[in-house]
Amino acid sequence: MNFNRRFFSLVLTFFCSFSLAPVVHAQQDNLIDTIKKRGKLQVGFASFVPWAMRDKQGNWVGFEIDVSNKVAQDLGVRLELIPTAWDAIIPSLIAGKFDVIIGGLTITPQRQEQVDFTTPYSTSGQGVAASKQLAANLKWPEGYNSPNVTFTCRRGVAGCKTVEEKWPKATLRQFDDDAIAFQEVINGNAHAVISSEPKPSFFVIRNSDKLFKPTNENIVNTFEGFGLRKGNTAGLAGFNEWINKNQAWLKQRHQYWFRTQDWAGLVPSI
Amino acid sequence: MQTVGRRLGVDDAVIPARAAPPATRLAWNRLDLLWVVVVAALLGAGMLKSQGAFSYRWDWSSVWPYFVKTDVLTGQWAPNLLLQGLMTTLRLALWGMLIATLVGLVMGWMRNHARLLLRMVASAYVMTVRNIPPVVFVFIFVYFISNQFMPFLALDQRVSALPVEVQLFLSFLFGPMELINNFFLGLVCLSVFSGAYVTEIVRAGSDSVPRGQTEAARSLGMTNLDIMIRVVWPQALRNVLPSLTGQFIQLIKDSSLVSLVSIQELSFMAQDVQVSTQRVFEVFVLTAVIYFCICFTLSQVFAYLERRHGRAY
Repeated sequence: MNFNRRFFSLVLTFFCSFSLAPVVHAQQDNLIDTIKKRGKLQVGFASFVPWAMRDKQGNWVGFEIDVSNKVAQDLGVRLELIPTAWDAIIPSLIAGKFDVIIGGLTITPQRQEQVDFTTPYSTSGQGVAASKQLAANLKWPEGYNSPNVTFTCRRGVAGCKTVEEKWPKATLRQFDDDAIAFQEVINGNAHAVISSEPKPSFFVIRNSDKLFKPTNENIVNTFEGFGLRKGNTAGLAGFNEWINKNQAWLKQRHQYWFRTQDWAGLVPSI
Repeated sequence: MQTVGRRLGVDDAVIPARAAPPATRLAWNRLDLLWVVVVAALLGAGMLKSQGAFSYRWDWSSVWPYFVKTDVLTGQWAPNLLLQGLMTTLRLALWGMLIATLVGLVMGWMRNHARLLLRMVASAYVMTVRNIPPVVFVFIFVYFISNQFMPFLALDQRVSALPVEVQLFLSFLFGPMELINNFFLGLVCLSVFSGAYVTEIVRAGSDSVPRGQTEAARSLGMTNLDIMIRVVWPQALRNVLPSLTGQFIQLIKDSSLVSLVSIQELSFMAQDVQVSTQRVFEVFVLTAVIYFCICFTLSQVFAYLERRHGRAY
């Protein structure tokens, strides 16, 4: 089933771009105008700490939610949040289920073939949490480049690619869910897990008897952009302008969600 | 005439030969006791062993608020994500069963129709759906097929034009109106998928009713529709109730598949709660218990119906 899902979301992404061309084309005039005419900005995203999470009241909170709210506010329209399964996020965009992905989508060359990215509105780094039981004696980073070392990651995130590039000999196991990828390392079934910060740091703090951080530096710095359907230059320009205008605000919100834990009370047990 | 008569005779002998199930009585012997002890010991040993390998701090307290919350505005109890998801799943299940049954009846009838075209349409439907893995079907349906009709239906816009009372009533039936597109998409997908299996059950049920019944009804001058509704299906229903139960339970479990395409039912909400609370296994266990309760209740209802209908004829 996992294979099916991965494979078919790829194939579908590919086919969507052709078979839905007429449907999508109608909306390609000028995305910003379409949104304003509709009076509603539809944003696609997936839940991921601290980008977008449900607080104890069941409401959405997080960095992406702040950004989406401000975009909608500045456009003078209502915001419609469309939570989407991570695996299906790019096919859903192409199929026209929403206007834009504001979902911590890291800009990668592979994704650029399927979607248009705005200029980065956020930067984040990948971090590693390793098992004290298995990896305590491994030398960082070269000791991890061995077939005996197992990395875990959430399938489809940029970190999986990093492992393949930096530790090509290591075994990589991919999971649907980040929390399970971490749990495997806590259980001592894998040596290390890669994920975007601050999650690895949080997990190390909460499971200090089982996990440690081999390095406190970010392994790779990544940039995130809004994802749009291909070929909408006017829409792209509109969002780029918004991002450039709000750099200071974005930085301040980013600081709040990624560098502090002031929001920890919103969500249980983080 | 003679053949018909003979056939009728044979079939008649088959129909009433449905014996009541033997009465069961609970009686324990030593061997049973031994089995219970062995199973309990194995389970206990397994649990002890897994505690060493599976180091996980169970913490249920952070999951409960996602069932029922105390609303900050009103200070009253209100359903939170998991309960909302459960309601969506129940609505999907109930409407799904209804629509899948309707689809199944029509398609099952077409599958046995004298016209070749109708037979071919129905069997093409069944063969296509049945021979594609469910996950793939869901993806194809949502990204290719639904895009051909969902934008034209524009359900959410139509609904928002309705009077408030009607909207309230609709949201009782179909859930929150702002998610009506989302719900409807999941419902259609699930019904089309399950309908194919119900079609085969309907066909098997119709086949299980002896031809003599149809012929006798026709000789009395009943129309085709009358024959189906008054003669064939009532008898078929009794024969297919067990397999229909299985299919309906399957439908409820399949409803979790549409979470892949972001239909906000129980599994999807559970995923959100998992990510937000980081309590993966607690949420898994809870979700499993909920699905079990729904499916078990349904199978009990059908078991009751089976007992009743077993006596009715």
